[in-house]
Amino acid sequence: MQTVQPCVTIGSYIWAQDRLPYDEFTPRLDALRAAMERNGWPAVLVYGDVREHAALAYLSSFIPRVRWGMALLPRSGDARLLCAMSTRDLPAMRTLTWIADVRSGMGPEWEKAFDPWLERFTDDQAQKLGTIGFDIMAPVLYAAVRRSLGERFSLQRADDGVAIPAHRKRPRELTMIRASCKLLEAAAKTFAESWRGNHAPETAALDAERFARSLAAQDVRTLVSLDGGRTLVPFQGRFETCAGPLVGYLAVKVLGYWADMFVTVDEGSATAAVRHAGDALDAIIADMRPGARTDALHAKAVAALAPSKLHPVLGGSIGHGIGLSLHEGAEFQASGDTMLAEDGVYTVQVGVADAKAGHVLSAIVRVAAKGAEILARSPGIAASTSD
Amino acid sequence: MDERTNATRPGRLAAAIRHLGGQALDGMIAASNGLNNFLESNAVYVFSGVRPIGESAVVLDRDGRSTLIVTPAWDEARAAAASSTDRTIGADDLAAMLKSVVGTHRLDLSRTISVGLSLLGTALFDRIVATLGTVPKATDELARDLARLRMPDELQLMERATWIAERGYERLLEYARPGIREFELAAELYCFMKKLGAEDNFLLMSASQHNLAVRAAGERVLDVGDIILSELTPCYRGQFVQICRTTVIGEPRPVIGEKFAILQDAMGAGLHAGRAGATVADVTRAINGVIAKAGYGDYCRPPYMRVRGHGLGITSDRPGDIVDSNERMLESGMVFVMHPNQYIPESGYLMCGEPVVVTDTGARALSARPAALDVIAV
Repeated sequence: MQTVQPCVTIGSYIWAQDRLPYDEFTPRLDALRAAMERNGWPAVLVYGDVREHAALAYLSSFIPRVRWGMALLPRSGDARLLCAMSTRDLPAMRTLTWIADVRSGMGPEWEKAFDPWLERFTDDQAQKLGTIGFDIMAPVLYAAVRRSLGERFSLQRADDGVAIPAHRKRPRELTMIRASCKLLEAAAKTFAESWRGNHAPETAALDAERFARSLAAQDVRTLVSLDGGRTLVPFQGRFETCAGPLVGYLAVKVLGYWADMFVTVDEGSATAAVRHAGDALDAIIADMRPGARTDALHAKAVAALAPSKLHPVLGGSIGHGIGLSLHEGAEFQASGDTMLAEDGVYTVQVGVADAKAGHVLSAIVRVAAKGAEILARSPGIAASTSD
Repeated sequence: MDERTNATRPGRLAAAIRHLGGQALDGMIAASNGLNNFLESNAVYVFSGVRPIGESAVVLDRDGRSTLIVTPAWDEARAAAASSTDRTIGADDLAAMLKSVVGTHRLDLSRTISVGLSLLGTALFDRIVATLGTVPKATDELARDLARLRMPDELQLMERATWIAERGYERLLEYARPGIREFELAAELYCFMKKLGAEDNFLLMSASQHNLAVRAAGERVLDVGDIILSELTPCYRGQFVQICRTTVIGEPRPVIGEKFAILQDAMGAGLHAGRAGATVADVTRAINGVIAKAGYGDYCRPPYMRVRGHGLGITSDRPGDIVDSNERMLESGMVFVMHPNQYIPESGYLMCGEPVVVTDTGARALSARPAALDVIAV
């Protein structure tokens, strides 16, 4: 789910070498270098900003807390990382990445940091550099990149040619995601209990956020419904109580990895409609295995929810990958030829809304060889499917 | 699609309409990337009053008709309730909807200006250009210029935001103690101020026995003798403010107090110099003059400090960075944070700063209690 982007992420960020040592990055970089070999790129430039930085974090561990960062990764030789921070902030930035050479790319620092790095490529012929993440780069920075490259270099989009981040999560990544899911479930429980304690939805969401942040969540996002679940809104600070069930959304990030969940809680036992959505969620999860097509999962969800239609907040999708980004890979929509990967991790979401009310349930699922492993699930609805 | 036909015309849109008329322009497209940088103007917020979730745009024509387009589509109802535009449309494809709305407004794009398109991602920017068939002339300074003076209701919101910041700092004094980690303290402060209504917060908070600068909170465990630096920057209904504070756990060494007094004196000089008609450079020189007189003139440059303050988005970041190269003239009603934060070898980095509003007689701090060197007893 998209939420309002905060102006800075306040959680504790560091390159956790005890959890993701450099050797975790070796195969990632090897795969990238293989792509460089295939395409004749002497280097790849990997860009990320404060909102979307999955590829940058996957390859460098660096996560921008404000503005942007860019890893300059050569086929051979030393990497450099540019960040949009002042020189005063560089010591702190160096704790976020395995890349030793971290420079400021702000303002006049750009030419001092970017241009000299290119000097190593001494070939007389014009050369192509691969790019990842440049789609989200602001035109003004893109123009600075092009000015620095001059006629000697051209850029070639690499996003579609290399699977970064990889769809298949490695064991250490799964450990991180499990930690994130564990904190998410505990925070979701706080969310629901606070609401049951007669707190307004925004108060309950803030209680959940406080809980997650106090346990080292690096980021927390929430949405709540103030109209019985028909729509969701970001924090508005009004703390109004409202009738109807609690319907909200909660996402937490732990050591770089996201987990998210919809929370639908009724005052009493779950209504027939919510149980129906729970059954639909179970039906999808039961079909989640390596090679399963996401359009087929979507069709199954739509059939299970009929005659109701998918909740508008889902934007026509019933899921997507999750990990270093809240949205990894393609959405699970009616059309598309995406297939689930073994050891891929996905968030699946179902729900409906009418003129009076709505609800959404979700789960985070690891697709194992034998089937689905539920890593986290909306509270209040018993799971009937497991590995 | 929400249709708003009887909305009173708020100040920013009215100013933009006057600008279009004065320049014989046909229309304006103002865009936001949704990133909410607290140091920059958010053109969509300025012209609609809506803090967008995703990429978004306001379309305004010479007749004063206005449309807000927000992404994602499901955010339409919230945006419509808050927007000062005539219409609000939720869409998942900004480029396609922009073309449709431009057609509805019958804009001649050769006589249309744009604000903030250059902040969108390159792919979206290219798609918009391809869809519209041209790039409207960029006037990226327009939103920050039109909003450079806070309106009375905005100033009231800033005063409330400052109240929140000061309560947040009081919470720091209550909550900080040896043994807790920086991120725990930051989490408490962030959520405490959010509970008071702050929808966003550029919160930097870090501690050390000898700070080189302030940074975002980390895993460090607070200890006796630590100097806690905090930049509390709550945003209340679109208005950011910032206070900068220095706090010592346990009795500080006398030199800390002596050096902090230099920053307080510099702040006083800056407030005195910050009157309407003076330039930003005048304010900077007044602050730097005090610090130089105390013997630290060589430290009035990075990495020992960054700037002596700055404007506050997301409304308008005017008057810009408080640096001696900024010759912009201060006007009554401008708001910025003034902070003579400084590294001093004997004490480390110290922080002292307030949000201020420019008046004819000087800059007036919005905070009730000026920064002091505070002590957490242990």
